[in-house]
Amino acid sequence: MKSGIKAGIIVFPGTNCDIDTQRACEFFGWETEFIWHDDKNLDKYDVIFVPGGFSYGDYIRAGRLAKFSPAVMALKEYVKAKRGFVVGICNGFQVLCETKLLPGILSNNTNTKFICEEVELSVNHENFPESVKFAIAHAEGRYIADEQALEKIKAKNMIFLQYKNNPNGSVFNIAGLYDKENKVIGMMPHPERGIFLETGNCDGRYFFEMLKTEVENGKYIRA
Amino acid sequence: MKKYKADIIVTLKNGVRDPQGAAVDMVLKRTGMEDSAGVHTGKFFSLSITGEDEASVKAKLNTICEEVLSNPVLETYKIERFSEV
Repeated sequence: MKSGIKAGIIVFPGTNCDIDTQRACEFFGWETEFIWHDDKNLDKYDVIFVPGGFSYGDYIRAGRLAKFSPAVMALKEYVKAKRGFVVGICNGFQVLCETKLLPGILSNNTNTKFICEEVELSVNHENFPESVKFAIAHAEGRYIADEQALEKIKAKNMIFLQYKNNPNGSVFNIAGLYDKENKVIGMMPHPERGIFLETGNCDGRYFFEMLKTEVENGKYIRA
Repeated sequence: MKKYKADIIVTLKNGVRDPQGAAVDMVLKRTGMEDSAGVHTGKFFSLSITGEDEASVKAKLNTICEEVLSNPVLETYKIERFSEV
């Protein structure tokens, strides 16, 4: 079933959730293409995913070097032009924060461990159940921001996902942000890992269904 | 007992592959910031250390550097600062 939505998935050296994201998009009938980090032509996509992994080996800091790639430079223009939605998942969230497309930054988990588990989240969005279970897998997932950024987050109602049992020490239990004005979503949990029955959790579908509704409602400008 | 503070920098020996340095080098080149910066990466440590006198503290510090902070096969260390506090 074709939905008419065209999604692009940015692939850096070291990205490893690109195929999961593609399979999730295709489950909903979205046409998907991979965007190599050298590519700059993003205008044809309604949604652009910055998937999870370890872009450029996470050298210097998670997401630091990815922000200089041609694809991410073009992503800034894409957001500025309000062409479509940008979704950063895990390492993608780290890239969006390093790029300043979202406020704040992700630092090391307070327990210093790599946390790989399913977590309960409360959701702040009208087209979503109030509570979902998503997988997390990260060592640098502790969301922190200065007071100015936190004020902005509150003023713009950007808190999208919050941990019920904060596993990593994030401020305000923040697991994901949604800047509705600029159509930028970033989150540490992996909705793309909760699509197929085989994984034992299908809550990720709620996210893709929500995104589909947002895109179809024409909350973006077609090129 | 005397207390000293020391700063130590550990770097890879010449000829040991430094992928982090190479990746940063490439980014600097591609963004046009610097053509061949020759980036080398390393680690910085700051610590306090106590002992009877300067000689014994220095000996202890060298052991820490050689056994804990670096591996002499791959890395070299440099004591950047050493002063009594």
